[in-house]
Amino acid sequence: MTGAATLLVVLRQPERLAVLSAPEQEFTLRLARRAGLLGPLQHGLERSGLLETLPAPIRDGLEGGRVVADSRERAILWEVDRLERAFFGTGLPVILLKGAAYAALGLPLARGRLMADIDILLPRADLPQAERALQKHGWLTATSDPYDQHYYREWMHELPPMRHCHRPTELDIHHAILPRTGRLQPDSALLLQEVIPLPGRPGVWTLAPVDMVLHAMVQLFHDSDFGANALRDLLDLDGLLRHYGPTPGFGDRLLARGRELNLTAPLHAALYFLERFCQTPVPGHEPPGWLLRGLITLAMLPDHPDPRRDGTSVRLARWCLYVRSHWLRMPPGLLVTHLTRKGLRRWKQHVWHRRGV
Amino acid sequence: MKIGALTTGETTRRLASADGLAWRAGPFVVRLRADVPGFAGQLRLLYGEHRLVETGETNDFHLELARPWGLRRWWRPKVFFEMDGPTRMAPFPLDHALPLFEWGFNYAIATRANHYLLLHAAVVAQGERALLLPGLPGSGKSTLCAALVLRGWRLLSDEFGLLRPSSGLLAPLPRSIALKNASIAVIRAFEPSAVLGPEFPKTRKGTVAHLRPPPESVRAQEQGARPVWVVSPRFEAGAAARLVPLPRDHGFLRLAHNAFNYELQGERGFRAVTRMTRACRFFDLTFGDPGEAVALLDGLAAS
Repeated sequence: MTGAATLLVVLRQPERLAVLSAPEQEFTLRLARRAGLLGPLQHGLERSGLLETLPAPIRDGLEGGRVVADSRERAILWEVDRLERAFFGTGLPVILLKGAAYAALGLPLARGRLMADIDILLPRADLPQAERALQKHGWLTATSDPYDQHYYREWMHELPPMRHCHRPTELDIHHAILPRTGRLQPDSALLLQEVIPLPGRPGVWTLAPVDMVLHAMVQLFHDSDFGANALRDLLDLDGLLRHYGPTPGFGDRLLARGRELNLTAPLHAALYFLERFCQTPVPGHEPPGWLLRGLITLAMLPDHPDPRRDGTSVRLARWCLYVRSHWLRMPPGLLVTHLTRKGLRRWKQHVWHRRGV
Repeated sequence: MKIGALTTGETTRRLASADGLAWRAGPFVVRLRADVPGFAGQLRLLYGEHRLVETGETNDFHLELARPWGLRRWWRPKVFFEMDGPTRMAPFPLDHALPLFEWGFNYAIATRANHYLLLHAAVVAQGERALLLPGLPGSGKSTLCAALVLRGWRLLSDEFGLLRPSSGLLAPLPRSIALKNASIAVIRAFEPSAVLGPEFPKTRKGTVAHLRPPPESVRAQEQGARPVWVVSPRFEAGAAARLVPLPRDHGFLRLAHNAFNYELQGERGFRAVTRMTRACRFFDLTFGDPGEAVALLDGLAAS
């Protein structure tokens, strides 16, 4: 079994880690660290009562990852609290997306999940008011570069990232789930119509479960380059479907909503790979074309704890998927201009930026 | 077997091999690959007493000192610090591989070892009673730490107080003490027999030379110690050594402020610092002469 396959098995059945040889345990731990999955693994082992049976260095490595993940979760939930305060009295809703929503809902998949930033959704018309409210409460836009500002405001589905002046967590404010210049344009109004209040927290909302699933699917299978977080994102989907899937009629509603939002292609691709990699129970679906199937199969799983030691075919597949994600993001003319600008900027930094001793 | 038992040639060969060279440093097993001329001899000097670890034991860190393949391999050559792949650390000139490794190892611990409360302090001990010297860079922490271990205190660490929140004990991590600029001459004058590595000029902290950890401290590296005294040093040229007791509430804030990962630890960090505050006595120490400071601290330990 390859390292990544072992990692997938261990994440589903933590007890399997205990029976691996010491070098296999270490390799699995390193892969989990690279994929940002130490936290969920530690939680799983703790729940199954097996932590104490592991050798001390493995236990310590897992604990270190858990401590970081727990602190990130605390930070994100604190941001939710601060956002409630910033939007209080403005009539603006705090609609949580992705990790913040999973954590606020207390979903099992949120345990130990390594969260980077907080994402919220607002109607596009409300963005100026939201920006003013946030600025008044100490949030600043993280980039002042005019091109970056233009890029986000004109073409993207989110504002330039903001950050509170006293806290490191980045806040992404979305008005849609895909870029305005992209091939697919799911209607945000449909998502906003179905948001669900968070129990006991007036003013805080999440997407409806089917929409949460679709959003996560679109992110990974339409708008991602299958980089560092791909496996974590796949496991999010696995967790969401295992949690919400058993609700009667969920599968049918998911497929119908996918059609309604014009997201059938990423939905079917996601269902195919979930069944294949995670044995997730999923509704009937069409497998994606052979090329995409091949590329994603190669790119999804980390080969080695050192990213540079991934196989050549794996790196090539990731590069193809990186190109694909950009291709899906923007029309070709705009894409060429954008990549040229980005490339030039990187080149300039490389040439002019001298590293000190 | 100890690293010092290998010849320099054998150390070089093992460092350059695919598996690298692994040894136990306090609670960690570190595996290092390095293909850097002259590095093996310096490593043997500073880590000679550390126990080699054979392939098959679990490693905590996979580190590498990597030379780039492009222009910088040949022209003003550089070396990169890596941990399971590239890190954020800026490269150093190739002949500064040793300070890069020492700082890189610190970086590795600071980013990964969050199962400990990581205090930014030098730690020395008498038996199993530990003295912590928290301090900002330039406070004289390393100089005082070096002076204490040259006068018989056991070295736990020059950089990290590794506190286990579950046990309240400090884990030793005896490694070299990085002396900077004027302290190098001060320590050479304080103890002419002190064993120092080469001087590395023009690093980001000025000139650095590493004092070899006492062999007895390395041999005792698996014996934890309990925190008893916390002394914040402040070097002041020409000042007489003076030890001023501090109230405990100040002590709590000092420790919480001093830990690299206090916020990250959340509630258990608060509990660990509370427990430590209850167990410790706190002092401010102003000193101009390391000998006087050592005499004061010897007196504190004897009282």
